[in-house]
Amino acid sequence: MTGDAGKAQEAFQDTVREAALRAARDEPPQDRLWFFRDARWRCIAACEEGIQAEPGMLEEADISPFAPMQIGQLDPDQLGVWISAAPDPQRSALALFYLDEFTLSEMLAILEIKAGEFAELITSARRQFQAWLDATVPYEEPFDANQI
Amino acid sequence: MPTKSDALLGCAPITEKPGIDRSMRVAINRARHGKQAVAFSNQQAFDGAVAKLVQTIPVDAQVAEWFANESLIPLVKRRWKKILLNPAVLSILLAIAVISGVFAYRVHEHLRDFPGADKARRLLSVAASSRSVLLDPLKTDAGALSDLFFMKYRLEHYDIPAEFADFRTLGSRVFDDDEVHAVAQIWIVEKRMQLFLFPAEKNPKDGSINDFSDWRFVELEGWTGAVKQRNGVCFMAVIRGREKDLTPYLEKKKQ
Repeated sequence: MTGDAGKAQEAFQDTVREAALRAARDEPPQDRLWFFRDARWRCIAACEEGIQAEPGMLEEADISPFAPMQIGQLDPDQLGVWISAAPDPQRSALALFYLDEFTLSEMLAILEIKAGEFAELITSARRQFQAWLDATVPYEEPFDANQI
Repeated sequence: MPTKSDALLGCAPITEKPGIDRSMRVAINRARHGKQAVAFSNQQAFDGAVAKLVQTIPVDAQVAEWFANESLIPLVKRRWKKILLNPAVLSILLAIAVISGVFAYRVHEHLRDFPGADKARRLLSVAASSRSVLLDPLKTDAGALSDLFFMKYRLEHYDIPAEFADFRTLGSRVFDDDEVHAVAQIWIVEKRMQLFLFPAEKNPKDGSINDFSDWRFVELEGWTGAVKQRNGVCFMAVIRGREKDLTPYLEKKKQ
C-alpha cells in the first residue's frame, strides 16, 4: 500500500492503537473490517506526502498464458513497488484482492465502491501489469532443436 | 459495455472459498464452460501466481508476532440473519405467509359453518342488493306473517322466532331462488334489518335435516346474518354490521 515498510508499520501500529483506545472507551470497532478500512486510510494519508500516480498512464496487454512463468521470475519487492505505485483506489483494490483473504462484498465494504468499478480497477491493473511484465521479464519459449 | 457477468469475472476470487455469492458462482461456471474458458483460465493462473508471490512478501517480525496466535481474518459463517435477508428467501417466506394467511382465514371461516351456511351467504348478497321498494308494503308485526306465508304461499313452518316476532314490518315478499328455492324476505323498521326464511339444507348422505336451536353466524362483505333452524326451515336475521350489532336482539328473549 505504501511502498515503504516503515510507513506501513506506522499505519498498522496507529490502527491498533486507535482500536485499543476505542475499546478502552467501551466503543470497540464494530467489525473486523474496521481495522482494514482504518489502516487503508492511514496508508493513503501517509502516501499523500509523496508523488502521486495518475490513472490511465500505463500501457496494457492481453493476459498471456505464460504470465505465471513471468511472475515467477519476479522478486516480491518488485510486485510491492508496482502495486504501491498505482493510483488509489486501484492500489487498495489490488492490495486487498491479491491478499486473497476477503470476499468480494468485504472488499467492496472496505473500499466503499461498487462491484463494477472494482472489477474495472482489477481488470485494467491486470492488463497493465502484463504489459509491464512483457517489458521487464519477457517470456522466451524454450529452444526446440527438433523444429529445425 | 461489459455485462454484470463480465464484471464479476473480472474480480473472480483467486481461491474459491465458502460464502461466494451465487451470482459469482454462476458467472465462474459459465466462463469455465463457455467461449471465455481460455481467457478465464489465463486470468486465474495470472491471479494465482500474483497471490503466491504476495504470500512471499516478508512481514515485519514485530507485526508477525501480533498475529502469531490470532486468526486475523476468521472465516465468516453464513449467519441466519444474512440468510433470512436474502431476497429469494424473503420472497419465499412472504409467499408462505400469504398462503398460510389465506388458508387460515378459509379454515376459520368454515370452522363455524353449518348446514345451509352457503345458502345463508347467498341470501346475504340478496339482502345487500335489495331495496325496500321491491317488497310488497306491509305494516304489521313480523310474527303475524307466518300465517300469511302458510295461507297464501303454502309455506309450512315459516315461523318468525320470538326474538323478532314483535318488530314492525315495512314490507315482505316471497320469491323462488335457483339455489335456495322458496325464500320469504321481510323488511322490518328496527335498524332496517331484513329477515329471511328458507328451506334447511338436507344431509346429502341420508336426506335428513338436523335442526339447531342456537344462533349461528355468517358474514359477507360487511353484512352479518344470525341463523336458527327449526322444523326444517332456517330463519336468518340480517343486519349491515357485525355480529355484535345483532347480539342484543338475540339475547332479548332471555331477558
